[in-house]
Amino acid sequence: MTQAAERTHLWHRVAKTTAIVGGVFTGIFTVLLAANLVGSAVLGPARELKLEGVKLLVQKDPANETLLSEIRQRDLKIRRDRIWRLDFAHKAAHMLLASIVLLLLAGKIAGDLGKELPHPKHAADRGEKQVREARQARWAVVGGLALLAVGMTLVGMSGWVRFVQAEDDGPPFASWEDKQTQWHRFRGPGGAGVTAYANIPTSWNGKTGEGILWKTPVPLPGRNSPVVWKDRVFLTGADPNVRQVYCFDAKSGQMLWKGDVPTVPAAAKLEIMEDTGYAACTAATDGRRVYAIFPTGDVAAFDFNGRRLWHRSLGVPDSAYGYASSLDTYEKLVLIQYDQGDGSEGQSKVLALDGTNGQIAWETKRDLPNSWASPIVVDVEGKPQYVALADPNVIAYNPADGKEIWRAECLGGDIAPSPIYAGGLILALEPYAQLVAVKPTGTGNVTETHIAWRMEEGAPDICSPVSDGTYVYLLETADLLICCKLDTGEKVYEQEIKGDYQASPSIVGDKLYILDVKGVMHIGQAGPEYKELGKCELGEECHASPAFVDGRIYIRGNENLYCIGQAP
Amino acid sequence: MIRFARLAVLAVALLVPCLEVQGEIRFPPPEFESGHQFPETTSPGAQPVFHEYVDVAVLVLGLLLASYLIFKRRSRRAIFILMIGALLYFGFLRDGCICPIGAIQNVTLTAFDSSYAIPLTAAAFFVIPLVFALFYGRVFCGAICPLGAIQDAVLIRPVAVPRWLESGLRLMAYTYLGAAVLFAATGSAFIICRYDPFVGFFRLGGNWNILIIGASLLLIGLFIGRPYCRFLCPYGIVLRNLSRLSKRRVTITPSECVQCRLCEDACPFGAIREPTGDWPEGEYKIAKRRLALFLALLPILVAAGAWGGYTLRNQLAGMHPRVRTAERVYLEENAKVEGTTDVSDAFRATGQTTELLYTDATAIRNRFALGGALLGGFIGLVVGGKLIGLSVRRRRTEYEADPAGCFACGRCYQSCPKEHERLKKSAEAMAARV
Repeated sequence: MTQAAERTHLWHRVAKTTAIVGGVFTGIFTVLLAANLVGSAVLGPARELKLEGVKLLVQKDPANETLLSEIRQRDLKIRRDRIWRLDFAHKAAHMLLASIVLLLLAGKIAGDLGKELPHPKHAADRGEKQVREARQARWAVVGGLALLAVGMTLVGMSGWVRFVQAEDDGPPFASWEDKQTQWHRFRGPGGAGVTAYANIPTSWNGKTGEGILWKTPVPLPGRNSPVVWKDRVFLTGADPNVRQVYCFDAKSGQMLWKGDVPTVPAAAKLEIMEDTGYAACTAATDGRRVYAIFPTGDVAAFDFNGRRLWHRSLGVPDSAYGYASSLDTYEKLVLIQYDQGDGSEGQSKVLALDGTNGQIAWETKRDLPNSWASPIVVDVEGKPQYVALADPNVIAYNPADGKEIWRAECLGGDIAPSPIYAGGLILALEPYAQLVAVKPTGTGNVTETHIAWRMEEGAPDICSPVSDGTYVYLLETADLLICCKLDTGEKVYEQEIKGDYQASPSIVGDKLYILDVKGVMHIGQAGPEYKELGKCELGEECHASPAFVDGRIYIRGNENLYCIGQAP
Repeated sequence: MIRFARLAVLAVALLVPCLEVQGEIRFPPPEFESGHQFPETTSPGAQPVFHEYVDVAVLVLGLLLASYLIFKRRSRRAIFILMIGALLYFGFLRDGCICPIGAIQNVTLTAFDSSYAIPLTAAAFFVIPLVFALFYGRVFCGAICPLGAIQDAVLIRPVAVPRWLESGLRLMAYTYLGAAVLFAATGSAFIICRYDPFVGFFRLGGNWNILIIGASLLLIGLFIGRPYCRFLCPYGIVLRNLSRLSKRRVTITPSECVQCRLCEDACPFGAIREPTGDWPEGEYKIAKRRLALFLALLPILVAAGAWGGYTLRNQLAGMHPRVRTAERVYLEENAKVEGTTDVSDAFRATGQTTELLYTDATAIRNRFALGGALLGGFIGLVVGGKLIGLSVRRRRTEYEADPAGCFACGRCYQSCPKEHERLKKSAEAMAARV
């Protein structure tokens, strides 16, 4: 062996040995890192689980210092271990990298030094070989093309989303006509308390279950009324900490979903009168989404599958008894009457949110104090008007842009009953004082020109009026039903009906439905004379106005939601 | 067997750092008061501009040095050292970014989006290696590219890839290039950067899936030389085709080829072409007819590819974030999926209407109609061009480095007896001078 060959041989052995050393270190650091990883994956979660267990114990006994100390010790141990492992992993990874580099470098040098000289075999006929190789390469390209085609076919089969259904479904809200057949807001279409259906039950008994189609507990309390859209019934409920929207299956009563509405923590605790409660405002739906508002000023939208689409905080309203105005919708807008304060600070407003995203579509300030009435959207000679009451005004706005159309200064006091539109007149109540009828055809201040009549022989403070198109019926909180002529306001009769009332009366065909606080529905003949047709007990206290839709009545009791009707 | 075991250990070792990266989970601060003062959150400042100029200077100097070492010194060892230096600088020190491969996308976006201003460095990194390729071939691939270097460094036991297989696999790189250009031009994504298989190694951490892909490529790279460069690299495709026009080309022998055939298997990348033999009997006429057929087929392939790409426009548009958001929101709005995602929640928080979102998405899809057709047509053109290229016989009288496939790594020099003779003479001349 020549001297050069001996030197090469020696270097080859050195490189080989170095590569082996690099390999051994690679193995060692691999094992260490793997052990560290397994340790992190197994021990860490086990210790954290134990810590969570101790935390649960502390929740039951928050003053237990021993447990608190144990939590701190365990937490510290977990953190120390985690940081140690991270540090170890970083160092070991670098050492592993160095070992790999050493292994590769030495391996390559050993490979180069140990390389034997090539021994080319006898060359076959190059021409044949090259032609064959070119042919194979062409087939390979064709094969590659075929694979690409298969890949493209698979991609093509993966499908894509067509944005067409929204167009097929029309606008993102139900039509005006559809709304007239549902109960999409407080007191149904136009807030009038009049149903389009005549096939409403007249007999039931909640105690025996007769005529009760289903009865479902409602998780949280609330004095808001049911809202119905086809096969879905919506309610809201709340306590000082939680606000929820509920959706029930109209057929079975099964709760389909409940959605939480978040809030921004308020600086001061919200003080609300017990009679109002934390969920007085009735929800509203535009047939695509359901909207809810709470006395915390939180508004939220949910789709019909219970997914919260948006939430918006309007700020906690300054309301003497607690905010209680219900929502209404116009096309895709959610209409909110947000009256608050004493009217001197310009806090009151009416506004509309875009139902699809919760953004403010328009906002109109009102120099009026807090009120509790719910606004209505009505069709006056083919044009929509959004009518909202507050001391001392009845004001009509264009629901599309919030611009004021007319106003009449005719009210006073704490306005809680909501207006109705009947016989071409807007009917508004001033509690304990009067019923005012305003012709909604003017513009500007119509106080002197468009007040049709006033009935000043008393008026309810909570319940809203109802009209059958000929007469107007007013329900006092205690015992008294008043009937007036719609065209003149002339009082026709006063009828004592024993009971306390907070739910507003409703008209079904030619019948009056009056629900008292004890849950007894008084059914009477509408017209110039009151005649009691029946009384149906529910067996549970009720404060909310019922919903009447296609052969069924939905009544919210203090604890349960009832559906009254005949099984199909 | 022992060697195989060693390689297996190495394979596992390469994967373990990836697992450790997965193990780095951040955990929240304590839930109780401990008196510890949390440091203020700080954001790292912008990188000094001079770093970028230094990068460009290093690139230019590196390419000049590489060209010198390849064509003048003809030293594999020096090229290897330069390659490791470039790996350390552009890879580990500069985190594998910026690189000319990704710069394809910056350049494309600049061409299609007037509101996008390409960074000067990105433009320089894209252009400079191309200019060098026109003069000296793929010196960037052989000595400067950190992605090529990391694969070259792990190549221990090269196995020859049959030429036919290489031809088929290279279609992937062309497709990848076309897709990268399409997605960059439409502002959809920088897929080359997103799926850079080695950047995670340079940064010692990264996306788990990409690390797995990178580790797999390195494992393959133990036996198959530079698999990413040969079968996937989109910039390699550009360099490859420019290098065909290069002024100077790597020659295996420093003087005259003696047809000893010792270099036949010297290139682990299959870039050495042997002298052409004689036409087999009757083959010439068949070859002429075949060539005519493929020439006629070329427009059909282009048209078919364009049609295929056009039909996939909606699926391709799914790469665009706006389209993906629109699809998700649409599915949620129509109750086709349950729950929401961070993306759909973020969209709703913007207050934009879904109508606007769908309109935007539809407009983007329409852009993909042309883009998809161009991508498909490009693939058809590549396939047709390759079939034509493989039907044309180029005459060679000696062993040559294929200018397109040669990475200018200098491995083949050592196998040439004429090179040894040159080195010997050179050493003797040096000794005489001393």
